[in-house]
Amino acid sequence: MTTEELERDLERLAEPREADERLRLAIRARLGEQTLVRPRRRLKPRLGFGWAAVAAAATTAAIVVLGWPGGSAAPSAADAAIIRHALQAVTLPANSIVHVKEIGVQDGTPVAAEWWQQMSPPHALRMIKGPVGRQEETADDATTSFQYDAATNTVVETPASTAPALVDPIAGVREQLARGDAQVAGTATIDGKTMYKIELPTGVVAYFDTTDYRPMYLDNPQRDGSVVRTRVVTYEELPMTPDNAKLLSIPTQHPDARVLTQSAPTK
Amino acid sequence: MELKAVREAPTLRAREVDPDAALVAAAREEPRIFLALYDRYFDRVLGYVRLRIRDAATCEDVTSTVFTTALAQLGRFRGDGSFAGWLFQIARNAVRDVHRRPRVEPLPLEAGCSEPDLEEQFLARERAAQLHAAVCLLKPEQQHLLAMRYGAGLAFDEIGAIVGANPGAVRVRMHRILEELRRRYPHDD
Repeated sequence: MTTEELERDLERLAEPREADERLRLAIRARLGEQTLVRPRRRLKPRLGFGWAAVAAAATTAAIVVLGWPGGSAAPSAADAAIIRHALQAVTLPANSIVHVKEIGVQDGTPVAAEWWQQMSPPHALRMIKGPVGRQEETADDATTSFQYDAATNTVVETPASTAPALVDPIAGVREQLARGDAQVAGTATIDGKTMYKIELPTGVVAYFDTTDYRPMYLDNPQRDGSVVRTRVVTYEELPMTPDNAKLLSIPTQHPDARVLTQSAPTK
Repeated sequence: MELKAVREAPTLRAREVDPDAALVAAAREEPRIFLALYDRYFDRVLGYVRLRIRDAATCEDVTSTVFTTALAQLGRFRGDGSFAGWLFQIARNAVRDVHRRPRVEPLPLEAGCSEPDLEEQFLARERAAQLHAAVCLLKPEQQHLLAMRYGAGLAFDEIGAIVGANPGAVRVRMHRILEELRRRYPHDD
């Protein structure tokens, strides 16, 4: 037996197992109870403690000690860290394009939405969404709205009076995580993968990767009481290069399409 | 990527400031912050324990004991060494306590597997049992180093920071331990 084989066998003894997550949560819960039993001391204000020099997780912990924005029930340090990192993962630089693709099933019909949107004003966007096979492609660059009809290969242009808001599918999640109203509801396993489950005040439940905190799934409550679960297939930041900017434009994506220009709709 | 920082134990390097110092200080004031330390070290402590104890249920109990002890005794941690070093010393003591108890053999294979699976699992468990037995024949200090390296997945410089040795010396000691272990575990495929 070589040293490498021996090392591999040793590592195998300690390798993670399926039930580890359950154990992690069970011990965590026990520790949580133990922390409640211990007498809590009031934190004295400390200036010049050197927090700036410590790791992000420690900073998060300090934030929790000193007060959690927007709520009396402060999340635990670990939960606050999860929310903080989830927020970081969905917060993209101003001069970039967010690209999101999500798929799901609504009323028994597969639906999909793909989105490209500028993170900073004028928030130009292009999206393709709707039931699979009958999707609509629209775009808006703040001066003109575009609609593409694949059946006739036609682009309909309409003057736009207002710039679009930041409405990518993760925009609401981003906003509520930043507001401090979100709550970590432990972990959930979907399709065999364990994820952080974060509940938002709007009723939306977002699931994040436990390693890089990418958004993985969204549970969207519907007016009829049902919940539509969408899987976030793609969530990425694209730099605002000339090539990527073309993704925001319907005329550029369909250069051979016939263009019809409509007048602005009357109010 | 910074995003991973919350789940992964930070790298410990000799003579550098303990990267857990701020969290430890905060946890002394607000015990719930200890959960952030727990999240950092759960996988590593569990791995450490698994390398030194064969029985799965005992591993779980010991891992739980390590963290409940650490939380209860956090006030006694003086910060002379790193938090990680202190935590793994608690783990080492907890493992020692188990080894002092009368031995309980792990349960046999679980039912519900097909025959080829059963045979494969049996062989894998036999092999693991032999390796565990060989590890247990090493000196406690050697087991401790081995478990930090292959159970907790610590780098040589991290182990060096914990045991107060330079990474080169740790590497040499580890090499000798592996050689000794190989003599005791003459496994051929």
